[in-house]
Amino acid sequence: MQTSVRPAAATPGVRRAARGRSGQWAAWAFLAPVVLYLLVFYAYPLYRNVELSLRNYTVRSFVQGDAPFAGFGNYAKVFADATFGPALWHTVVFTLVSLAFQFTIGLALALFFSKSFRLSATLRALFLVPWLLPLIVSASTWSWMLNSDSGVVNAALGWLGIGPVNWLTSPDWALWSVIIANIWIGIPFNLVVLYSGLQAIPAAVYEAAALDGANGWQRFWRVTFPLLRPVSAITILLGLVYTLKVFDIIWIMTKGGPSGASTTFATWSYRLGFGNLVPSFGPGAAVGNLLIVMALVFGLVYIRVQRRQALT
Amino acid sequence: MRHLKTVLGLVLTAVMLFPVYWMINVSFTRDTAMRKSPPDLLPLDGTLDGYRDVLDQQLPYLGTSLVVGLGTVALTLLLAAPAAYSLAKLRPRGGGVLSFVLLIAQMIPGIIMAMGFYAIFLSTGVLNTVPGLIVADSTLAVPFAVLILTTFMSGIPEELLQAARVDGAGVVRTFVSIVLPVSRNSLITVSLFAFLWAWSDFIFASTLDQGGDHQPITLGIYHYIGNNNQEWNAIMATAVVASIPATVLLVIAQRYVAAGVTAGAVKD
Amino acid sequence: MSSAAGSRQVVGVGLAVLAAAGGLVACSPSGGDDGSTSGASQAAGGGTYTIWDPYPQYDAGSAWVKLLETCGAQAGVKVERTGYDTSDLTNKALLAAQQDNSPDVLIVDNPVVSTLAEAGVLTTTEENKLDVSSIAPNLLAAGQSGGKTYGVPIGANTLALYYNKDVLKRAGVDIAAVKDWASLTAALEKVKAAGKKGITFSAIGTEEGSFQFLPWFWGSGANLTKLDSPEGVSAVTLWSDWLKKGYAPNSVIGNTQTTSWQEFAGGEFAFAENGTWQLANAGKTGFAYGVIPIPAKDGGTAPAPTGGEFVSMPVQSDTGRYATSQKLVTCLTSGENSLTTTTTLSYVAPTEQVQARQVEQNPELKVWVEAVKAAKGRTSDDLGTKYPKISEPMWGAVQAALSGSKPPQEAMAAAQAAAASAIQ
Repeated sequence: MQTSVRPAAATPGVRRAARGRSGQWAAWAFLAPVVLYLLVFYAYPLYRNVELSLRNYTVRSFVQGDAPFAGFGNYAKVFADATFGPALWHTVVFTLVSLAFQFTIGLALALFFSKSFRLSATLRALFLVPWLLPLIVSASTWSWMLNSDSGVVNAALGWLGIGPVNWLTSPDWALWSVIIANIWIGIPFNLVVLYSGLQAIPAAVYEAAALDGANGWQRFWRVTFPLLRPVSAITILLGLVYTLKVFDIIWIMTKGGPSGASTTFATWSYRLGFGNLVPSFGPGAAVGNLLIVMALVFGLVYIRVQRRQALT
Repeated sequence: MRHLKTVLGLVLTAVMLFPVYWMINVSFTRDTAMRKSPPDLLPLDGTLDGYRDVLDQQLPYLGTSLVVGLGTVALTLLLAAPAAYSLAKLRPRGGGVLSFVLLIAQMIPGIIMAMGFYAIFLSTGVLNTVPGLIVADSTLAVPFAVLILTTFMSGIPEELLQAARVDGAGVVRTFVSIVLPVSRNSLITVSLFAFLWAWSDFIFASTLDQGGDHQPITLGIYHYIGNNNQEWNAIMATAVVASIPATVLLVIAQRYVAAGVTAGAVKD
Repeated sequence: MSSAAGSRQVVGVGLAVLAAAGGLVACSPSGGDDGSTSGASQAAGGGTYTIWDPYPQYDAGSAWVKLLETCGAQAGVKVERTGYDTSDLTNKALLAAQQDNSPDVLIVDNPVVSTLAEAGVLTTTEENKLDVSSIAPNLLAAGQSGGKTYGVPIGANTLALYYNKDVLKRAGVDIAAVKDWASLTAALEKVKAAGKKGITFSAIGTEEGSFQFLPWFWGSGANLTKLDSPEGVSAVTLWSDWLKKGYAPNSVIGNTQTTSWQEFAGGEFAFAENGTWQLANAGKTGFAYGVIPIPAKDGGTAPAPTGGEFVSMPVQSDTGRYATSQKLVTCLTSGENSLTTTTTLSYVAPTEQVQARQVEQNPELKVWVEAVKAAKGRTSDDLGTKYPKISEPMWGAVQAALSGSKPPQEAMAAAQAAAASAIQ
């Protein structure tokens, strides 16, 4: 996306036009498989999700396929629902807090591992192990550890003389507990992508900075951080998209409870559409689409920032 | 100093992997001690029942998961690498829009994707097959792969590509003999995630392969999740056993993420 | 959906291209045609019948699957069985029906039957000719709506109170004295005073939570059509008081029934509310246990909800398949086989005749047979698909009261308002 807005290379007029046309052919030939792939595999589900949210589906019309058109009725229902306000707030808190910690910790670890030392490659690989576990297992393990009565976290707090915290069963703590688990799950992603980003920075740049007498801290802010910006931006953007979507961790740990205290848009959408004896597909899809709109907004912000950077 | 770093690295890794340790601990725990308060830190009075069940029943699932994971990696790279090259270096008109679409594509909830695939797969006859599952799992990774690879390939110095062009290399040859080798690190990173996503996917597997002859490990776990009861030591044991071969793969792959690939190429 | 035929072909070609391009064809040629055997070609063949059940814990070598195969052999067909996670099966069944790919026999949790019936997925007993005359009416009711019957219960289970004899002895509690809520609470108080833990149950924010709450709710004399009646509020208050006084652990708010059982199996708890299916595990705990029915507020046995699955026959485009499917279902649910089925699944049989034989074989089951006779379907009283819309606010209210975010009265009043607006 950066490339499309980059000023074109300065080549003489006529030759440039000719090359440009054949260049476009080549460029789109390379893109063709992915475009085809997107059309085949994403267009239909996306269309389905929009269609589900605009019709008044009951279980019967879901099966028969004859649901009446409802316009924005499902959206109105969702906006008017008492869950809307708290769920929006929880989504924002969950996403921003998770992102901030995941990125900061991930970057710190990437910097730490970027200087090679004994076992560094192996330890770095081990940091990915949380991703190997099916979410039902890792999320269940977290709820095991955070259990009010038999959890190891409360046991440890007990040894320190701190009273038990009802991590998952108190409305004040449930959201923070799922955020902690989500940060844990997100660290490997940030670590690995940012680490690759650090590796792509040429060593010569550092050498020059060292010659200028910059200390470690200055080198980070003046050299590493600016050069890492494109990778950081995409990492945060992808992290944002993935965090907005998170539902399994919350669902397994708290089911969005107690009494809605950890309900985000993603778990709400799932509860409406699938986590129920009688699914309400319409409102479920409507909430899902609101999430897509949120990601869209952040995507546009990202592109604007990219554009400004490309111009400066 | 180097040792100090190693020690610190070990400590950090230990903190990070504590939940994994806890999972291992539970996998050895007897039913009667599972909710003991306070919990046992070591499974001293443990049981191997969970592992006995897993080794009896789960090995075929592991094989399927490996095939699905590697297949997903192959398909993802095949689709994403050329696309990323184009977006990063060939300046296609409308490339920005495409990147944006890729970003949004990832927002469609997995369960909606799965429902869409169900209809498509049923009519094309790939429901309950391994290739079908690979194609479905690749949708988890392809948009990510294109976006990440585009970012990294944008960082390849123009001089490098121009040098190749001066030597008379076409677009394809530049891609194969310059861009791909220089992008080794990011290709490995992308492969890692493609593999991990396919490995831990549950939603596609359960919708698209539950009736299949070859099922991945995430479905194998459901041996221990009955309609009324769950055998947690066997569930955890499955996860432990399943993560061993995959961890080995990760450690090997990480060794190939090396510093200075781009820089070295420029100097030459 | 309607224009699907044309676009699907395009999609199919695209898929084939991609699969070939990805070199996937080489990966697994063996599974190639599986998808279509259960789908389109099914109608033509007739040799293979598909069965879906919510028992993924039973694999190909288990007694349950062997029984399915035997029934298939008796009907002269091959049986292709898939076990699904129970919480997933409703959506799978709806999705399959939408794509005209329903299984021939579908075994689902009983409160789901009315949902699938309303969706038009299931055949009635008039259409499929299943004989339900010998089934206990209180069990059959969960599968009936609008005067029609949509399946046969394969077996039933319900809830009762397990108790730990050693813990009660140490606390000086005589189990015979536990007859109503007051005496139960008194017993819990003694247990706590003796340094042990009182009672564990599951109040999780899903249908499981409602399932566990209902014996207390019904036992108070409350009715599902009015959640915030004084009786209903008293049931929530009973639970929240137990939590406040430390008779029940705080973890019940997030407990599944399995977690709650694990707590009981640790040997510290005096009581646990749990189901028939734990009977086999109860023997493995290493302490002496007993079972009593859940007491009603003022004494007597509280009606517990019936659990257990229904065997149903989904609508097929080829109605000629019903005759064979009917043979399969009858084989699973009648006479001698019902005894095998219910023993295999550790359920109570749905007919009195088989129940008597179960008790003969295993006297421990007597209390459970009694409990099942007193039990009540969640979707009974002609609630049907209204039940889920009441159940969700109800479990929410229980969670709100137990976690302290709302007092019981307020929580139930809010739930009643939510349920009333959802039903309209």
